[in-house]
Amino acid sequence: MAALPKRIIKETERLVSDPVPGITAIPSEENLRYFEVTIEGPSSSPYAEGEFKLELYLPDDYPMCAPKVRFLTRIYHPNIDKLGRICLDVLKDNWSPALQIRTVLLSIQALLGAPNPDDPLANDVAEDWKKDEKRAIEVAREWTAKYAVKS
Amino acid sequence: MGNVPAKESPPNSGGRSRSSTYSGSGGGPFGPNGSSSSARRNTTSSAYHQSGGFLNGIANANDKRSKKTEEKDRLHRKHLLGLIVRYTENVDGGYLAPFGTYKSNLDYNCDIVRGLIMKRRLAPFYTPLQDFDESWTNEELIVILNQLPLHSIETAYSNEEEEDDIDNHKIHKSTNFYRRQEQKAKLKELMLQMKQIQKEEENKYLEIKSSSSVGQRSVELSSNDLLLRLYRNATECPICFLYYPENMNISRCCLQPICTECFVQIKRLDAHPPHDEEHNSRTNNDSEDLPHTLISEPAHCPYCASSEFGVTYEPSLDICTGFGGIKPGKFRSVDESNDDAIASSSTSPSPVSPRKAVKPRRKSSLAINTPGVISIDMIRPDWEAKLASARNKLARKAATASAIHASNLIMNADEDSYSPSDSRRNVGSSALSNVEQRMIEEALRLSLLDEEERRAKERREERK
Repeated sequence: MAALPKRIIKETERLVSDPVPGITAIPSEENLRYFEVTIEGPSSSPYAEGEFKLELYLPDDYPMCAPKVRFLTRIYHPNIDKLGRICLDVLKDNWSPALQIRTVLLSIQALLGAPNPDDPLANDVAEDWKKDEKRAIEVAREWTAKYAVKS
Repeated sequence: MGNVPAKESPPNSGGRSRSSTYSGSGGGPFGPNGSSSSARRNTTSSAYHQSGGFLNGIANANDKRSKKTEEKDRLHRKHLLGLIVRYTENVDGGYLAPFGTYKSNLDYNCDIVRGLIMKRRLAPFYTPLQDFDESWTNEELIVILNQLPLHSIETAYSNEEEEDDIDNHKIHKSTNFYRRQEQKAKLKELMLQMKQIQKEEENKYLEIKSSSSVGQRSVELSSNDLLLRLYRNATECPICFLYYPENMNISRCCLQPICTECFVQIKRLDAHPPHDEEHNSRTNNDSEDLPHTLISEPAHCPYCASSEFGVTYEPSLDICTGFGGIKPGKFRSVDESNDDAIASSSTSPSPVSPRKAVKPRRKSSLAINTPGVISIDMIRPDWEAKLASARNKLARKAATASAIHASNLIMNADEDSYSPSDSRRNVGSSALSNVEQRMIEEALRLSLLDEEERRAKERREERK
């Protein structure tokens, strides 16, 4: 395996030295491109009090292409599907090499605070969300209490 | 594409293999060469066999093709040679080819970029410092700078597998596909040669460095004054996080710095349908999308996301070495006191030398068409050709899809009209010949499209 680019080393160092509140990202010992991530649900959202586990992988072309991120913890959210895949512009076409692991994770945290049922990934959840938002938020809260338990 | 995340979990496999699972667009659980795809391939090829005349046509075209491939190989070789860093080709203490921070699958136009650097309209490819600390003394800095290699050979020419063939998941496997497989082997060989050439350049550089340290330093090498002038205030590029001479390219829109190595990495996204609702409207209609509606958008600024990314560069007028200037070894700082500081082995970081020729740096953003702005499209003028070929590809795909769709309809109609009488058999055979006819037509159409594309390419190459 080719040597790790300086950028990845520096980003990792800076994640440790200057961590983002409510977010942790720890590189795997076997593969320094693979991170175990936790994100706390934003306090004003139905995901508050929850701690969500994610995985993040930096592909070979990083930072010229976006990191691959996926939820491992189950979550009830119109833009996150059963497999944990995330529908977020900066993870796709709107990726910019000036973004970083840190900024991507912050964007995901922000997505938890601002679900967008009009651009859904989990169609069933988005339907529920549009039909009865109150109920959907309730379910999201239940799921958070059930699955996103702080370890 | 549902398979992708499921494969994300084991963190222990090597970097390359992991990323190939990630980038595998829809290879399915069988992998790109899985049984499902090969089965599909057979259906298409049988369509070809039914049209013998078409195959003969291909044979005739083969001669022309081999010539075309030769020409292509020649151009490719030339392109790769343009990516070799040579210490003799320098401008203001930098070089005409990238250091190799990124893998060397660079597709920018080398002639254009080399020209822009020589005209000092784009910053040269400087050798980056992996780390930098302002508290380093001049001497420490010089020692580090003199140890830098010309090129990061191992990263740029790492022997790992190239990306999976982008056509691997397609139903219609053109003859191009098989040719590409062949070319992959050729490419590997070519890359090995390039690696060798770069190694030789590196050795020449080492040789001249070691021989000059004894007595006189070669004038072909940057003088210590030049190195200090460039790197004393090294600045981090916000994209690769490496340190470069502070006079970097500046984005036209938001005045952010970017090193040339990162700049040449920025490119247009692949051609795509005008609306980005790909995931929720992938219906049959979509796959038969009108190919001419595919669009390709100019690259966005990585910093402020403005459309049509471009940069400007203002050369430092006091250092004009290499092409169009004095020998890099002849450069001396004009500031006497600064010279003394170097000579009298200072132990503390010397004060920043007063900048000569301090020019007013640009303070406002510029339009993309302002003279002096270098855009991504300028260094990759082939984007239009690429868009055209993407449209052709989609057209072919749509044609294949509709052919299959049509033949399925006929089969179904056949089953629906099931009756115990003889008429059924008649309907069946006529339907079958109908399908055959359609497939031949389709094959012809595809070959015409191929031909069209080939001609377009020829024309393009002639223009060069």
